[in-house]
Amino acid sequence: MRDTAKMMQTGLGDELFQPTGASGDSAPPALYGGRCNSCGYVFFPPQSYGCERCGSTKIDRTELDGRGTLIASAVVHRHLDPARPAPFIVGSMELERRVVVRGLIEAGQDALAPGCPMETMIVAETRPDRGSTDIRFRPAV
Amino acid sequence: MVKILGDLSPVYVVGIGFHPYQHASDTPYVALGLQAIREALTDAAIAWEDVQSSYVATALLGMAAGRPMLRHLGAHGQPLVHIENASASGSTAFRHACLEVGAGISDVALVVGVDKRTSPVFRAPTGVPSLADDAIVPATHFALLADEYCSRHNVAPEDVALVAVKNHANGALNPNAQRRKVRTLEEVMTRPIAGTLTALQCTPIGEGAAAVIVASEEGIRRLGIDAGRAVRVVSSAAGSEKAGNQTNPDTALSAEIMAQAIREAQIGPRDLDVIEVHDAFAIEELLYAEATGICEQGEFIPLLKEGAFDIGGRCAISASGGLIAMGHPIGPTGVGQVGEIVRQLRGEATGRQQPGARTGLAHMVGIGAVCYVHVLQK
Repeated sequence: MRDTAKMMQTGLGDELFQPTGASGDSAPPALYGGRCNSCGYVFFPPQSYGCERCGSTKIDRTELDGRGTLIASAVVHRHLDPARPAPFIVGSMELERRVVVRGLIEAGQDALAPGCPMETMIVAETRPDRGSTDIRFRPAV
Repeated sequence: MVKILGDLSPVYVVGIGFHPYQHASDTPYVALGLQAIREALTDAAIAWEDVQSSYVATALLGMAAGRPMLRHLGAHGQPLVHIENASASGSTAFRHACLEVGAGISDVALVVGVDKRTSPVFRAPTGVPSLADDAIVPATHFALLADEYCSRHNVAPEDVALVAVKNHANGALNPNAQRRKVRTLEEVMTRPIAGTLTALQCTPIGEGAAAVIVASEEGIRRLGIDAGRAVRVVSSAAGSEKAGNQTNPDTALSAEIMAQAIREAQIGPRDLDVIEVHDAFAIEELLYAEATGICEQGEFIPLLKEGAFDIGGRCAISASGGLIAMGHPIGPTGVGQVGEIVRQLRGEATGRQQPGARTGLAHMVGIGAVCYVHVLQK
């Protein structure tokens, strides 16, 4: 995932989040999205092939605050990929500027209800060839 | 000025055929496809030599699978094209056959969908990184949508599961269905997969084939086809997803394309007697049914409980059993939906006939996402 060829291909690189945690104050790690310079469309994941809304290739990387709101969640009971052993919880989160991301959640299902404030957290990556850290969401304290 | 299907010469479905959908087997795809095609030719009472153009819908068989199948009908040298558009492959092939016949390029065309399950499905990498795509497969995506719908409309997971109870009951009446067993709500609620979705609320991807013959009025006249059993294709609409950070692009896209197909058919949504939708997961039938406009947002479950969407209700949804019970072999699915609607509108759906069915709608989405909708009328 982190080879140079791919970084050159997509231009913005394939870094999706701040790998070490908080930037400055106690803010949770940010996600790296893209912002179209022509129409202002903000999106995640980042790419520089062209804006999905207007087709412009003038795209910048933008930091998305690691705090958001839970839209929906689901416990995955059965999953075919052995690199992601079930059970685990996935969710849809709305971040700033109306960007919706889907990711894994670290929490008990009882703690999750739509509208619940969420934040990012860094965990150790367990899948091979994916670097040393991964990102999760959890209910904000 | 661009045209719609309704501006072209009238197009009719004059023949339908199936190889029953089934769990994976050793039967070669060639045998599956030939059975469906021969049944459709027999149903139309025409010969293979009368078919002027063929559309082969397949998503999983690899390159150019059609010719090694069609050659066994007697090679006559007519054009042949393969169409891959994910779950909507069959619907896409049907649309393009209708456009060719409506435009007068051909009078008679074959659409056949055939597939055998392969796992995993190959897709070349896009180069765009993802956060958790390996954790969010289709069942997970729809489990999230189910959670969202249930919280918004205060609906219990058991209410969504009633869609599967209905569709399994319909599938039990369809000799071409992969799942032919009546299921209780208790049975449907066992074996959770993701969120509140259970195994019996998810389509069993299998194998099979479906074929339809489309013809113009000239083709019907020339070949002496029984016009009394011909079903007209009154509209065909298609689209693909727009950019946006919506959690439910499939439904937004479906609502737009369904509205277009219904408008072009010059009917209203409540004129629909039979509907087949992409109910790969129980929650999808509910979302897409509301998207047709046959009921208001949040009204589906109360109406379902009243029997409004049963065979014999105000609009039979997934009378075939839908993707949940009839099955979803991918390439054939959209063609099979058209076959089911034709059978219903002819009044030939013995054992599962929607009384007085005159107008039907077929809807498929394909991952990515694309959406295809057809309205047929007798």
